[in-house]
Amino acid sequence: MFAVSGNRFSKSPFTIIIASMVLTFIGLISLLSISVHQSADILRSSFFKQLVFLGPSLIGLLTMIFIPKYLIHKYIFTIYFIVLGVLFLPYFGRTIAGTYRWVDLGPVGFQPSEFAKLIIVFSLAKYLSDHNLEMKNFSSFFFPLIMVAIPAVVILKQPDLGTALVLLTPLLPMLYWAGARSYHIFLFLAPLLSVLTAFHTLSFSIWGILMIIIIFLERPKLIFGLVIYFSNLFLGLLAPVLWNSLKDYQQNRILALFNPELDPLGASYQIIQSQTAIGSGGAFGKGWGAGTQTHLKFLPVQESDFILSVIGEELGFVFILVIILVFTWMILKMVKLGYSSKDRFSGLVLIGIASLFMAHVFVNIAMTVGMIPVKGLPLPFISSGGSFLMSCFMMVGIVMNVGVDSTE
Amino acid sequence: MLKAENLISKQRYYIVTGVVIFLMLILLSRFFYLQIFRYEKYKHKAEINRIRAVTVNAPRGLILDRNGNILVDNYPTYILTAIPGEMEQKEKIFNSISQCTGIDSLIIAENFKKYYRAKFVPTRLMKDLTFHQISVLEENILDLPGVNYKQFPERYYPSRINGSHFLGYLKEVDKPVQEKLGNPNVYELGDLIGWSGLEKFYESRLKGTRGVKYLEVDALGREMEEVKGYNNRRSEPGADITLMIDANLQLLMEEKMKDYRGIAVLSNPVTGEILAYVSKPDYPPNIFTGKMLKSDWNEVRNDPHRPLMDRVITGLYPPGSTFKIITALALLEENLLDPSKEVECTGSYQFGDRTFHCWNETGHGSVNLQTGIARSCNIYFYQMVQKLSLSQWVDNCFDFGFGQETGIDLPYEKTGVIPTEKYMNRKYGKWGWSRGNLLNLALGQGDVLVTPIQMVQFINEIATHGNAGRLHFVQEDNEEKGIRPQYSDNTWNKIEKYLLATVSDNRGTGRSADPQIKGLIIGGKTGTAENPHGEPHAWFIGFGKKDNQILTTVILIENGGHGGEIAAPIARSAYSRYFLPTKQSQMVLKTP
Repeated sequence: MFAVSGNRFSKSPFTIIIASMVLTFIGLISLLSISVHQSADILRSSFFKQLVFLGPSLIGLLTMIFIPKYLIHKYIFTIYFIVLGVLFLPYFGRTIAGTYRWVDLGPVGFQPSEFAKLIIVFSLAKYLSDHNLEMKNFSSFFFPLIMVAIPAVVILKQPDLGTALVLLTPLLPMLYWAGARSYHIFLFLAPLLSVLTAFHTLSFSIWGILMIIIIFLERPKLIFGLVIYFSNLFLGLLAPVLWNSLKDYQQNRILALFNPELDPLGASYQIIQSQTAIGSGGAFGKGWGAGTQTHLKFLPVQESDFILSVIGEELGFVFILVIILVFTWMILKMVKLGYSSKDRFSGLVLIGIASLFMAHVFVNIAMTVGMIPVKGLPLPFISSGGSFLMSCFMMVGIVMNVGVDSTE
Repeated sequence: MLKAENLISKQRYYIVTGVVIFLMLILLSRFFYLQIFRYEKYKHKAEINRIRAVTVNAPRGLILDRNGNILVDNYPTYILTAIPGEMEQKEKIFNSISQCTGIDSLIIAENFKKYYRAKFVPTRLMKDLTFHQISVLEENILDLPGVNYKQFPERYYPSRINGSHFLGYLKEVDKPVQEKLGNPNVYELGDLIGWSGLEKFYESRLKGTRGVKYLEVDALGREMEEVKGYNNRRSEPGADITLMIDANLQLLMEEKMKDYRGIAVLSNPVTGEILAYVSKPDYPPNIFTGKMLKSDWNEVRNDPHRPLMDRVITGLYPPGSTFKIITALALLEENLLDPSKEVECTGSYQFGDRTFHCWNETGHGSVNLQTGIARSCNIYFYQMVQKLSLSQWVDNCFDFGFGQETGIDLPYEKTGVIPTEKYMNRKYGKWGWSRGNLLNLALGQGDVLVTPIQMVQFINEIATHGNAGRLHFVQEDNEEKGIRPQYSDNTWNKIEKYLLATVSDNRGTGRSADPQIKGLIIGGKTGTAENPHGEPHAWFIGFGKKDNQILTTVILIENGGHGGEIAAPIARSAYSRYFLPTKQSQMVLKTP
């Protein structure tokens, strides 16, 4: 048994762990800077909490490394339904900051939605690898979509827009990886783009023309082409109605993206301050613990969502470069492992996890620099937050487990 | 199961890789743009954009008496703060401040350490600065980078009453307090929080809401104007509360009680309004504000007579003979005695192998229920209480709210002790006590302990025949009902008659409670409670009724001796003032 596993792990991508440790370390350095200057009691600081949570995180990592792949494959649908049940749990708990994301387990809050991400990836991988699917049909999108949509809707209702969106991201890359046609991916994305462009007349017009060209090139039956085209247009016109059904703070976040000056009290206040903090850091930063924007407490969630602003201000572009390079390397490594893996299940799991990381990294960083609305999404390994750190390390564990390094 | 082969094409692998690199390059270029390309712009922005959030303390609500006299007010003082991160040479700055204000720089340094929270959060250096001190500092403000001042409202007591125990005091929020409060955002270090009395009980009403001002700060650290567009919030003053206290009566009672240790409470039994509430010894309420000297505070704290203790709600006393009322009520209600049946009091009574004495050593002669109460004969009650069981007696005590909180709007109320069978078994063992204990309890001695506020509730229920209002300082919109003990009209009428006799009978113990006002009838009961601390405690509980007005009084003088001799005359002065208010009205405000 051990001999076998010894062989197995000799080909595991250990460099992934090293990369994640580097990121965690950078995160701890900046949390320490925040904690030392803003709280008298280091034991209650986010730095110390993060340090303590490294313990459970490493246990999660080891668990995911050693759990046999075939067991996951066998029981994943059972686990999927259990987790779906657990996702409903927070509705019975107390609300923290007006949301239902947390299950209160005494002193430690715990976010079941974090672990839903892993389960989704496994479930999709199993479904897409077991059914020797002819991905040529658009209808084979149906089950995977349902599988992802149910938990996403539950989490969206909590309300946690960020995590709900992240939950959806593995779907398309994994379908693509399983062989879905690009045209189908387009059909899938079309409604989303129709809605997004609907608020801007010129964009909507360009999108309308683009749709005609793509549909024309693909040459479906005339009736299908017309249905697809007009239902998308209709959806675009319906978008303002949908918009009104969003909660105020969600609207504000999206609005602030297009015009940061519009709402200086709300979301854009954070974006402006974040940009100022990052920009004033320059190439080499103001020095550890010397970020005036950071320590004047301009950023309300600097330990979690805006941690990169702190790093940008205090440690400068050099460290940002290191962080982005390490993330890029990690994600590309996962994609490569997914490409070279022998069985389809492993390949799909790897691409799913890569897209989860990519979603987190892109959304968080783009948010800090004001490219997309404030989503309330943390940065893997670096932001403070117990459940999230643990789920990140568990994802690394999965990569270690199913990934086989062919270069070594 | 895991047999499906991985069929991903090389082309798709490259596309995915390309997408990842593309997205990351977008992010990186954005950082490059912000940090390298636009560095100068943001560096400048960060420097001039030092916006400082300054909290504006909300004045607490005022506390008024029933006639609108201000009992607790605010006056503005100045506090001096500094941003630690902007003070280059702390020692030098502290010395300059010391020169400007005449305050020892060591004290300033000590405060700085005490209030320090974070590098860029204003830290308090001094409080209670005068306008003159602030003027001198303002002239030198350029030499004091990072130093600023702001207004801070403190408590001030304009009336002549003390009222220290019910008004309560404020405490400065320090680190231990802040931790105890849990939510650190509601109170900042140095804020004031109601810590006892009504200040604590009505904290949420009185507190108000802190405001925030976002001030732009120039290169020299001077606060410029408010920044528009930020979430500037005005502070909202706390709500005022109006007490049912009558400052005139309060002042009178404080004066009458000034030489004693004990309590005096006057109330309107129908509504439950507290009109005067005195616990002696007390202390001047401004002892807790910044203007008072530390030595005064130490004197109060170390006083062996414990002036800080509110005896009305936390003092535990044996009720003494006032509790004969309970025994009489229980016997009457259960029809267990004939009120006119006479008992011979010779001054002592043999029960088993023990001899019980009457306070009147020569004996009262023949007594019935009325004279037994009016003259407070012990022998009568030693004999009669034997018709009751302990649990019957206990039930009657509970009916009047003894052994429970009265629910008055003050924090930390105690419950006292009513010795139930369970309590006696636990304390003495199952066979360790006997009916002999009940003989003691009937006289309000032994294991029974009450708080004076429970006695107020007790006499209020008697005066209103069980319809008293819940005791309160502050009137709520929907005032809760009192405890409503249920007795027959016959029982209530009889007991009232006996209590009136206590004052009107020529040998009644409460004679000196009557101010002899036309149309005013006084009833009451004295008590002389033996205790291990020396002389007995003197009680008088009573009521005065005239037309539709009722006033109840509860007076307790610790180690005062006989209730009729020392406590009842204080009640008399209260009746006299209340029912003849024009006779001598006083100014309650301090003369400036």
